[in-house]
Amino acid sequence: MDFINENLLTILILLPVFGALGVLAYQMFAGREDNLKWITFGITLVNFLISLLLIGEKAASSSGFQFEKSVPWITAINSNYHVGVDGLSLWLVILTTFIMPISVISTWHAVEKKPTAFYIFLLLLESAMIGVFVSLDLLVFYLFFEASLVPMFFLIGIWGGENRIYAAVKFFIFTALGSLLMLAAIISLYYVHASVSSVGGTFDYVAIMKTMELGHLSFSGPLAATGTLMFLAFALAFSIKVPLFPFHTWLPDAHTEAPTAGSVILAAVLLKMGTYGLMRFCFTLFPDQSREFAPFFIVLAIIGIIYGALVAMVQPDVKRLVAYSSVAHMGFVILGMFSFTEWGMQGAVYQMLNHGVSTGALFLLVGFIYERRHTRQISEFGGLANVMPIYATIFVITAMSSVGLPFLNGFVGEFLIMLGMWKSSILSVTTTTNWNYIATMLAGTGVIFAAVYLLWMIQRVFFGEVTNDKNKSLSDLSWREIGLIVPLMFLMVFMGVYPRPFLDRAKDAVTQIQTRVMHQAGGEVEHAEVVK
Amino acid sequence: MNIVLAELVSPNVNLRAILPETMVAVTGVIVMLYDCFAPRQRNVTGAISLIGLAAAAFFLGMMWMDGSGIPTYSWNGMIAHDNLRLSFSFVFLIVSAMTILISTIWVEREDVPSGEYHALLLFATFGMMFMAAGNDLVIIFLGLETLSIATYVMAGLRRTDLKSNESAMKYFILGSLASAFLLYGMALIYGATGATNIPEIASKIAQPNFPALLLVGGAMLIVGFGFKIAAVPFHVWTPDVYEGAPSPITGFMAAGPKAAAFASFLRVFLLGFPVLAGVQAAGYLHDTWVTALSLIAIATMTLGNVGAIMQNNVKRMLAYSSIAHAGYALVGFVGAGMAQTPTARDEAIASVAFYMLTYAITNLGAFAIITLLGQKNDRRTDFEDFNGIGFKSPALSFTLSLFMLSLLGLPLTAGFIGKVLVFRPALEAGDRLLTIVVVAAVVNTAISAYYYLRLIVVMFFRERTTAWAEPRLSTPFAAVLLIAVLGVFYLGIFGDRVIQRFSQPAVRVGAQLH
Repeated sequence: MDFINENLLTILILLPVFGALGVLAYQMFAGREDNLKWITFGITLVNFLISLLLIGEKAASSSGFQFEKSVPWITAINSNYHVGVDGLSLWLVILTTFIMPISVISTWHAVEKKPTAFYIFLLLLESAMIGVFVSLDLLVFYLFFEASLVPMFFLIGIWGGENRIYAAVKFFIFTALGSLLMLAAIISLYYVHASVSSVGGTFDYVAIMKTMELGHLSFSGPLAATGTLMFLAFALAFSIKVPLFPFHTWLPDAHTEAPTAGSVILAAVLLKMGTYGLMRFCFTLFPDQSREFAPFFIVLAIIGIIYGALVAMVQPDVKRLVAYSSVAHMGFVILGMFSFTEWGMQGAVYQMLNHGVSTGALFLLVGFIYERRHTRQISEFGGLANVMPIYATIFVITAMSSVGLPFLNGFVGEFLIMLGMWKSSILSVTTTTNWNYIATMLAGTGVIFAAVYLLWMIQRVFFGEVTNDKNKSLSDLSWREIGLIVPLMFLMVFMGVYPRPFLDRAKDAVTQIQTRVMHQAGGEVEHAEVVK
Repeated sequence: MNIVLAELVSPNVNLRAILPETMVAVTGVIVMLYDCFAPRQRNVTGAISLIGLAAAAFFLGMMWMDGSGIPTYSWNGMIAHDNLRLSFSFVFLIVSAMTILISTIWVEREDVPSGEYHALLLFATFGMMFMAAGNDLVIIFLGLETLSIATYVMAGLRRTDLKSNESAMKYFILGSLASAFLLYGMALIYGATGATNIPEIASKIAQPNFPALLLVGGAMLIVGFGFKIAAVPFHVWTPDVYEGAPSPITGFMAAGPKAAAFASFLRVFLLGFPVLAGVQAAGYLHDTWVTALSLIAIATMTLGNVGAIMQNNVKRMLAYSSIAHAGYALVGFVGAGMAQTPTARDEAIASVAFYMLTYAITNLGAFAIITLLGQKNDRRTDFEDFNGIGFKSPALSFTLSLFMLSLLGLPLTAGFIGKVLVFRPALEAGDRLLTIVVVAAVVNTAISAYYYLRLIVVMFFRERTTAWAEPRLSTPFAAVLLIAVLGVFYLGIFGDRVIQRFSQPAVRVGAQLH
């Protein structure tokens, strides 16, 4: 048990890799591909169950991280394989392991072409995603961040829709460009650290934070300009990933063309890498720059919220509509983070999970209907509620969760974010106008728009008479489909009614980051003892 | 008179110091003789060559173990025994051995005169090793010419093929021109300093006023070496030569001679024209070449990548990509040029050597597959010919994809560690120009994603319309692919040991090579 506890995160990362090798070996030696989905499902399920062990441990080490493990990797450049979780990454890891078995089941009948390769890429993707959330060494973080691109690139490119090649290449190049600049910033950070610290250069996040806490390193004062450049490089990489307006253009293409499992993972997990990175690295490494650029990010987030909603409204394709709704939702997450209030940031973390659950579910539902009709055009449907009542019910509930109806999960996150923004002091406050209020109100209109585009779509797809003959004979959801959507439905309700456990567990990490951003000014460090 | 004579008759002969080189040369001669008496025994000559290379590698390893940590010189200071030489020589031996394995299929398919071919390859390797070992401009030039003449012939080995002839001819004419530049540059430097020995040159430029000849000479050296590493604007020969030469030779040229030119280039400029505290003139020379190489690096990366995007032939694409890679390696070079301490400089040199190693293994792996798929006379090397073969030969296609991703520099592959290592010294300097160089390198890497991915796209995402017969995979061929795949992953994940070896040879203090 000790061994498992000590290496829990490594096991989570490596299990899918070995699983992928197992899948390959099975296919090569057994020469069959029919049981692969069961094997893959088993592996991902076991990984999920193991990941639940993370929730238990609360006692953090001095660095604030649990399940830490550090092994030298490349000694020449002092890079370590250093992993650990805290309240922020914990839930994202579990979200990843939770969504994986579901996406495996969703492909039960959908993947006819080369299932072996498909499942291998899914498993490799899982490893890379977990790696991103647990890495505490910047170079290792970058490694996983980039490594996650390749399986996704293949998933979109081989199993995607009509326009898949364009979408896959665009997805890859957009993300790669951003992250490469981040790599340059990471290496620069190494040398900046080497120039101020007796330890020398390091990529270790915990070590860098330690140097900053001791007051040896600060990106205000003489290093401010360097810090700003580095901050922008990091922020660009993450903004593309989120995606923040105007870097979002890869997203609708990638989502629309990806196979259902790919879209679910993309929405539920891959986008969170961006917001996670901003919060974990940008905020804590560059607190001054984060505050300085916050108004800029808030404006882009609000544009994203409103623009995403307006564009979603006019989409003729259901999947594209959901993709644009992602742009809007992720705008909310950014808004909450950059309010730099505890409520706002907690809400942002919560909304990351919500978005994973709700939008993941929406993509699954769109996938169900696509498997039946091989089209996603809204105009092809109408009156589906008459022939597929269970499907319609589930779809409406999920849409409500996405809109933010009270007692469903979306409400908690969005409400916290807006409260946080309202109370925020990050935007200027004059005697006549409080820009924080205005930002909150503008974001609030996004919620209304969300209701408009989702409900309007539901009306056109599900209600009224069945106008298209092809829809008359559609079968309702099978037990497999119900079975895989039920855990998500349960979470929507549970997270909407009882958010305490999630928020409590994330609290320490969030307040630590928040204190760091708000209270580190001009090289003065007031960090100690804020955690308790 | 007696004194002069004494110097002449008793040079500092130390055969141990050039044992690996001798080994390679002797093997070359054995292969040639064997071929005289029993012509066209391709398996035998190949095996002899591999054994010779292995023996050379063994002796090289011994020298590594014996190193005292302090660079030593033998043969009256003409042969250096240091990190730079050992790590680059190691790269050459690997390149050579892999090329022999890759060539098996080509030698068999086109009935190449194997004895001549293997002997030439060994002599080329011998030349490369002397380029890395030469601590004197003369030795470097001799090594370069040995290498070049062998390579000119190899590029034209496919005698009946017009493209191969064109390739050899172009390479020969332009290569000779570059050699002339190089030699003239060396002569000018000798004129300016009165020395051809590199440490001696370094001590001579410390004089407060050095003649302008030195600058002209340095510029000519840049032209000469720039040609050999295919740096812009001296790169124009590359695409035609690489496309026309037989694929295994192309792979060899992109990996071996380029690395060899880098070895000499690094030695002459970093150790011959160093920055010297307090000496303004030398500082001027140093600044000039660092600035020039920085600009050349930016131009090389950009033109290489932009050129590669526009290609429809995979070999041509890889030719442009090799130009771009020379640019990335130059980033490490200028970083080494700006290094503040000898330790930092040596680390930067090690990172360039490591980069060339990663590039060599990846690139040779890619050319192995292209040789296999290209069929006789490399007819099938357009992007279209790779259409939809992904799941028809999954093992080959995924392996080729892995090499593309490594060339792109994606994490977990050798290319990633290589890139991190060469970008690092340039950022360490904290110099504005060098930072711009690194940003240019980063943007270029993103651009390069387009054409590396393109090969993956055509292989996996498109459908094949024409018939496809999976090529037969022979044992040596499978071996070389395995070496390359394992190498890419090993250097990408556990590259630490190799980097350490490249930057710190001193294991056991004691044995001197004098």
